[in-house]
Amino acid sequence: MASASVYNPVGFDFSNQVRNQFLQEKGLPLPKATSTGTTIVGCLFKDGIVLGADTRATEGPIVADKNCEKIHYITDSIRCCGAGTAADTEFTTALISSNMELHALSTGRKPRVVTAMTMLKQMLFRYQGHVGAALVLGGVDATGPHLFTIHPHGSTDKLPYVTMGSGSLAAMAVFESAWKPNMTREEALDLVRDAIFAGIFNDLGSGSNVDACVITASHTEMLRNFVKPNERVEKEQRYKFRRGTTAWKKESIKDLIVSEEITPIGGQVEAMDVS
Amino acid sequence: MSSLNDVAGPQQRQFNPYTENGGTILAIAGTDFSVIAGDTRQSEGYNIQTRYAPKVFRLTDRAVLAVNGFAADGNMFVKKVKQRLEWYRHAHAKDMPLHAIARLIQTMLYARRFFPYYVYNILGGIEDDGSGAVYSFDPVGSYERETCRAAGAAQSLVQPFLDNQIYFKNQQPAPGTSFPAHLPLPIVLKLVIDSFTGATERHIEVGDGLEMYVVLAKGRDLSGLEGIVGLQELSTKSDGERIFVIRRELKKD
Amino acid sequence: MFLTRSEYDRGVNTFSPEGRLFQVEYAIEAIKLGSTTVGVRTPAGVVLGVEKRVQSPLLESASIEKIMEIDAHLGCAMSGLTADARTMVDHARVTAQNHAFTYDERIRVESATQAVCDLALRFGESVHDEEAMMSRPFGVALLIAGVDEQGPQLFHTDPSGTFMRYEAKAIGSGSEAAQSELQDKWHKQMTLREAHILTLRVLKQVMEEKLDQHNVQLAQVTPEKGFEILDEVRLKELVDDM
Repeated sequence: MASASVYNPVGFDFSNQVRNQFLQEKGLPLPKATSTGTTIVGCLFKDGIVLGADTRATEGPIVADKNCEKIHYITDSIRCCGAGTAADTEFTTALISSNMELHALSTGRKPRVVTAMTMLKQMLFRYQGHVGAALVLGGVDATGPHLFTIHPHGSTDKLPYVTMGSGSLAAMAVFESAWKPNMTREEALDLVRDAIFAGIFNDLGSGSNVDACVITASHTEMLRNFVKPNERVEKEQRYKFRRGTTAWKKESIKDLIVSEEITPIGGQVEAMDVS
Repeated sequence: MSSLNDVAGPQQRQFNPYTENGGTILAIAGTDFSVIAGDTRQSEGYNIQTRYAPKVFRLTDRAVLAVNGFAADGNMFVKKVKQRLEWYRHAHAKDMPLHAIARLIQTMLYARRFFPYYVYNILGGIEDDGSGAVYSFDPVGSYERETCRAAGAAQSLVQPFLDNQIYFKNQQPAPGTSFPAHLPLPIVLKLVIDSFTGATERHIEVGDGLEMYVVLAKGRDLSGLEGIVGLQELSTKSDGERIFVIRRELKKD
Repeated sequence: MFLTRSEYDRGVNTFSPEGRLFQVEYAIEAIKLGSTTVGVRTPAGVVLGVEKRVQSPLLESASIEKIMEIDAHLGCAMSGLTADARTMVDHARVTAQNHAFTYDERIRVESATQAVCDLALRFGESVHDEEAMMSRPFGVALLIAGVDEQGPQLFHTDPSGTFMRYEAKAIGSGSEAAQSELQDKWHKQMTLREAHILTLRVLKQVMEEKLDQHNVQLAQVTPEKGFEILDEVRLKELVDDM
């Protein structure tokens, strides 16, 4: 479909960049991206990795989504928590997820966590921090369990317990006081829950529910809305409007049934061959 | 290596004496009562400084002041208003009437026209004629008497709700009926609670606790307050206007 | 008392060994040289009356100003050194306007009176080495009449800064005779008209000249219309009916 005059390259379109910068200098504020304020964590335990995330998405001080998903699918045994610009975390993880699938297909092996990590950091580095994704990547592969953090500029860390997002300090405080090596699945899940709680209750950018994901060599369990500590209380009153509350300026009723008179010409019409 | 050229140009340094501490306040006037409410969260950026910092203050037996914005300025402002009320009591042997407090607040705010108190004030209470009243102020003293007003972080969420439910904006009355100018106390309390639980859901700076002050006109019975949990009376006299406070929990995330 | 003149006469803020401030006492004496001024309170309002001493047939009696407005709800009548009263009335006016500006309400009669008396005590007050603002006590007494949420009220102030509330009060040269007459004739449920007549009668008794609409002035403060000076037409009616 591509014609000579309209060239559509793949990837990002930068054609409005100069215009937008000009407008910004003139004082026109650029649209604000939805940010996932966020507390995301990951921790190593005896049999694998537990990832955790809150579910609040914000636009400035406004809660945009009370129950969003921040643990993204990479492969069956690799997941990635995202903090930062919501669109960037979603597209970056989805892109790397696709590439990991292609990689698995072409190599004929189960892909490794380091592979995903490398692909992510190379992409983020290429965009010099303009792709605002701060990630916690975790999974189990042939070489064992692995846990990484990836910063928006492309730097990475490999650690036994990690936190990211605006609630990272609150969550890390919990890890620093209670994490120990070789925890059981239950211990690790409780610790992750407490770390996310710390973010939810002490960081205004985080809130609502706890999502968790337990990854072991044999099985990945996504625990969507693992805990819901912030259910809305019932309203004091019903706010139902009486029919006729809204004023109108004019009323016109359109008949949506179109009646048409058909005059058959040329005698009998042959039935369509549908055999 | 930095050369001399890099630092030779003019440099500017700015000290910003103000911060914004979140939270929301609102007040609604009835015919013979007034409700003044505020949440109790105080925040800076994404941090909660405290879950209980009152923003609503009893000034006299018939006046309550809610202060929102920069908490340090707000607390100092309330302190100064209370001091002026005490001086007035000594000079004139009576409590300052509500409309006089409103004017006093205007002059106090405007006195700082070029280094303002970074606060939005809402004054509620009972006038000398026994009617419920709400006065709202901007930081430099412009003020107006109104039936209801919301201010603070979630003003843009709460005020449209109040406009619709109290002023009946964008609503047509049923044929042959009209909307009341003032709502009864039980309805007003429900609207206040729903305003704050709603704001807590959608604004990150609102939450933790809710304090609602209710001021009743002289001689008004307690109808509308019976059966309300956590009701506490703050009046100093039983034969004048009466003040109550109702405290509720709000979500803490 | 005038026989015990001593060095304590000189300083305005020096007590004598007997504990007296002679200059203040002399100032109070000065009032007794002034023309007679009367105030009468009733439930319907307060009446103020002054004698205007027209010393010469060439004097324009209308230019003698002994009753002044402080605010719409406050008036005052004076006796003594009337020039001093200007300073006091100016201060009272500023205080009343300031109160209205700051509190969006009328100042109470007692508060306005208190403000005037605070000023009366500021003689001899100086900052560091600067010259004192006022060199001597005021030589004038005021009858301040007004209406506020506590109804019509009448206050008397003297040069010592003391003020007291009265139902009826006379000051000036004829004050002793006038006060005993007021004590006889004043009663609790007087009408405003009765108060007008009483004021005129008391003034007539103590005046040397024959009382007419030119040598007296009457004013009233009522809850309905506030402060007003009665014009000569109304004054003549009352004088004729007396």
